[in-house]
Amino acid sequence: MNSDVFLPRIARIDAVRDETPDTKTFALRFRTPEDSEAFRFLPGQFVELSVFGYGEAPFCIASSPTRPGAFETTIRRVGMLTYALHQLGLGAEVGIRGPFGNGFDVGGARGKNLLFVAGGIGLPPLRSLIRNVMDERDQFRNVTILYGARTPVDLVYKDELKEWETTEGVELHVTVDAALPGWTGNVGIVPVLFAKTTLRPENTIAYVCGPPIMINFVVQDLLLRGFQEESVISTLERMMQCGIGKCNHCAIGHRYVCRDGPVFNFKQIREMVE
Amino acid sequence: MESLVLTIRKHDVAGWLAKLLEGAEVIAPAAGPCGEVVFSRIDSPEQVLWSFENPLSPPKQFVLPQTEPIVKIQLTPQGTEVAPIYDDKRRVLFNVRPCDTKAIAYLTQMFEMEPSDASYLRRAENLTVISLGCTTPCTLGFCVCSDSGPFLTSGYDVQLTDLGEKYLAEIGSEKGQAALSDAMGLFGPATEDEIQQRKTLETEARRCLGEETCHFGSAMRRISTRRVDDALWDKMGNWCLECGGCSFICPTCYCFSVRDRDGDGTWTRCRTWDSCQYASFTMEASGHNPRSQHGERMKRRFFHKVSAQYYLRDGMTGCVGCGRCIQACLGATNMPAVVAAIRKRAWHEL
Repeated sequence: MNSDVFLPRIARIDAVRDETPDTKTFALRFRTPEDSEAFRFLPGQFVELSVFGYGEAPFCIASSPTRPGAFETTIRRVGMLTYALHQLGLGAEVGIRGPFGNGFDVGGARGKNLLFVAGGIGLPPLRSLIRNVMDERDQFRNVTILYGARTPVDLVYKDELKEWETTEGVELHVTVDAALPGWTGNVGIVPVLFAKTTLRPENTIAYVCGPPIMINFVVQDLLLRGFQEESVISTLERMMQCGIGKCNHCAIGHRYVCRDGPVFNFKQIREMVE
Repeated sequence: MESLVLTIRKHDVAGWLAKLLEGAEVIAPAAGPCGEVVFSRIDSPEQVLWSFENPLSPPKQFVLPQTEPIVKIQLTPQGTEVAPIYDDKRRVLFNVRPCDTKAIAYLTQMFEMEPSDASYLRRAENLTVISLGCTTPCTLGFCVCSDSGPFLTSGYDVQLTDLGEKYLAEIGSEKGQAALSDAMGLFGPATEDEIQQRKTLETEARRCLGEETCHFGSAMRRISTRRVDDALWDKMGNWCLECGGCSFICPTCYCFSVRDRDGDGTWTRCRTWDSCQYASFTMEASGHNPRSQHGERMKRRFFHKVSAQYYLRDGMTGCVGCGRCIQACLGATNMPAVVAAIRKRAWHEL
């Protein structure tokens, strides 16, 4: 019997970085080395993070398992819990349960071209996999990253985007829905970036994450361009409470986003019956 | 385990209950302050009712409480301390109807599924369920439609049957055997005639319950293959008042939320009942709600209870036919009404 499914492990805020006016990246380190050692995760998995007194909410892990130590999560301030979290400073304690969910199949992606398509705050879950891929670069073929946000201010990981732009074997295209003074890059929604790159549907896995409407547009576009449903992969977001497939908040049909997902290929998403 | 069938004389039952009360909290249908029947903790054997309409609130709260403390959180000078909270009190649920007995077995199956949930399971391990077969069917029940009554073949620790002068006690588990062990002198072996009498009573009860009234099979075929029109769900959603009553009085509903209660450096993290009929159930902090329409929430509830996908996973429908939703639902979107509407592809009009 798993006796402590609801018991959070204590972690401390090791570093905080402002990404956008309403988004921060927190580096979290477990208080005890035992908890740190026991915390093994895959890109695409998530944690239930407690801000004590405010409760718990699910957040994806944004750092790579290839970099042990503190792990990172990038969080937008949208509700009471995230507002309280944004007030916390270095050394503050939070609770962590997990990792939960299936995560991305990193092994299955080896030897393939990888296409990452992200919108807004949809980049963090993909960043875990992107960084994993960067750390084992020789095992994957072309890496293409297409990223869009509402305005240049809303782009997360600005320093990293610059780094990826100059990394050999990585193709990065960024767009914004609305430009601001000084922006010289692309303007338009994410699918405009497809014209900037060469898609190779036959040996490419596409990872798509962003707001629901963006996912819909991008997936339809990719299917029209010849991608198989099985090789278009997304990570879903739902209200969650338990993380272990019992509370039913994240159920879609008889599938549970927290336990059977959050990573699904588009065929699985289309076949969800409810 | 070898099946064991015993009998106890009616005037000896008080002696057995007294023994049970010595070792555990005993919960049974009893008269409430205004004479209504409720499942409550009893202090003496006389309080137990033997002839009663099933209470509106099922006994699920004694294994899955409405608000259940699961983690203690304290801020100390050394840092945050957290500790799990378990309830290991021994409890006996006495005179529970077969529908409710089967519902508890269903709940336990849900929380046993990996990763299992110790907060629930430790309470369930200390719970003995003594079921009372329904020789006189209740008014609203349709247990025959979901194989949950009027008698059970498994899922109980002890199943009692009123034979007139005596009660027949079928032992269904080791916990059931243990519940009799302190009072074994009061029990004797059942005769062939008595076992035959129990079978006759079941046949008679089934005859009284009549034909199946809630045809899960045909509704299941449609729900499982997306062959129920959205317009029908919307129409039914329009009748539902979103009170959540159906979820709370349903003996198999187990959706929950987790909240931190109290404050000032000490909190108790609690599991509380929730309902999939509330818009807030799937509302995300961003404001996005994948089930913003009421019809979608109706569809969710009945997919979980009636679909083949869940039936294959759980081995039963998520409905035990107790009939409580018929009594509780102000909008008439109870289980038999919805199942009928799906079969007939039309909502009943007044």
